Amino acid sequence: MKVHIDLDKCYRSGECYYNHPELFEMSDAGDPVLKAADLTDAAMRLHAEQAAEVCPAGAILVED
Amino acid sequence: MAEAVQEQQAPALPNEIDPREFDGPAFQRDPFPLYQRLRDHHPLFHDRFHNRWVLSRYWDIDGAFQDNESYDRAVYKPDGPYQFGSTHVFGPNILEYGNSPQHRWLRNIVAGQFVGNRLQVFLPMVAQICDEVIATFREAGEVELVSQFSSQVPIRVISNMLGLPREDEDTFVGWYQALIAGLGFGGEHLARGIQARNEMWDYLDPLIAARSKTPGEDLLSRIVSAELDGARMSPDEVKGFVALLLAAGGDTTDKAIANMWYHMMYTRPDQYADVQADPDLWDAVFTEMMRYDPVVHAQFRHTTREVELHGRVIPERAGIILYLGAGNRDERVFKDPDTFDVHRSDLHIGRENRSGRYKDGKPGHLGFGIGQHFCMGYAMARQEAMIACTKLMAAMGAVQPKFDSHPGINSPSIDSGGFRSPQELVLTFNPT
Repeated sequence: MKVHIDLDKCYRSGECYYNHPELFEMSDAGDPVLKAADLTDAAMRLHAEQAAEVCPAGAILVED
Repeated sequence: MAEAVQEQQAPALPNEIDPREFDGPAFQRDPFPLYQRLRDHHPLFHDRFHNRWVLSRYWDIDGAFQDNESYDRAVYKPDGPYQFGSTHVFGPNILEYGNSPQHRWLRNIVAGQFVGNRLQVFLPMVAQICDEVIATFREAGEVELVSQFSSQVPIRVISNMLGLPREDEDTFVGWYQALIAGLGFGGEHLARGIQARNEMWDYLDPLIAARSKTPGEDLLSRIVSAELDGARMSPDEVKGFVALLLAAGGDTTDKAIANMWYHMMYTRPDQYADVQADPDLWDAVFTEMMRYDPVVHAQFRHTTREVELHGRVIPERAGIILYLGAGNRDERVFKDPDTFDVHRSDLHIGRENRSGRYKDGKPGHLGFGIGQHFCMGYAMARQEAMIACTKLMAAMGAVQPKFDSHPGINSPSIDSGGFRSPQELVLTFNPT
């Protein structure tokens, strides 16, 4: 599984890193940054999918 | 020896703050001079009288909102040994669970409703409700905006979203007003608030049972059927959640609309002409109102560990009050902070962010908070206020305040959770 963040689309809503701090963190500028995480883990996968779903900018893409 | 006990008056220290000032009517009416003294001379004020620490500068408040490891919102632990709701007008509710997985779960059940596409679907209904309410007073050419308009619209919108029967809307308006009064005051207001809550809960019981069996598309159905690890919310938790949504989703937006009109009629009537020429400017009116004098001025936290700030140490488990209303007037961040200006260029105008960081590089207002407990209804509040104000402006035509002077925006008690808004706002107009 791969997680892509499109920083051009992102408007720093913060929904990913506040709701899924297991997988995302905030840079000093406010951009989301993917944390080093085991993406084969089922819980992490769920965090990625839920983050992609709640992102109001549609900036997170999860690929198998 | 009466002469010997002559009163010794301590010389007044120029910038000292007497914590009792927070409780006085002058502070409730106009908190801004005290905010300024806090920012300039006591950026970290230890209020021993109320047993709390006060933050008032913009970046200090931002820092506390961003730091969940050090500051918690929870009133109770989610797994404590108590019966929730006996003395709170909302009953058990999401805000009391703080930074927990439980909070995140509860929040996510409804959050999607208030942003994005699901919100867009509801906007025509908001416009329709505005039209219906405006029709009740339009012919008269006069409106008391608070009771006849702003306190009518948001409560009808949220109860419609929940899927509550429209014919009972007037009853919800009554319960909701009692709940809100019970939130800001103690005594008989609290008693009446709890009575209204109990009546509302009895009313909701059969609706909750019915939606649990056969869920529909409405928000109440989503709340009753949401599951965490296979478990649903208890009926009491559902009712606490509904009460919170009615109050948080209704009252704040209601008062935001009244504040916007107050500023357009009394603070900057010259800029109201600009808004009439360009109704999209309501967006900027909303944003600047949320900075200049937002509905909510204070947020509460407690420390989960020792925190170093301004060369001092706040102890663990200390009460913290964050004065958003003070941070919004921080001259370290905004030029001429005490001027209401819809054309302000040093404030992020438009849609707010949970992160408080914007691509235009400008600081946002603090009126919705920031971070984990950022207002869930921010997008809905903004859209609803925009629709309501645009509709009302178009329906009224030429408008002016009925009275030359106005007692101003006031609050019964802003640090007990009371919200700031005008008590009354009478407008006269010539419907076109």
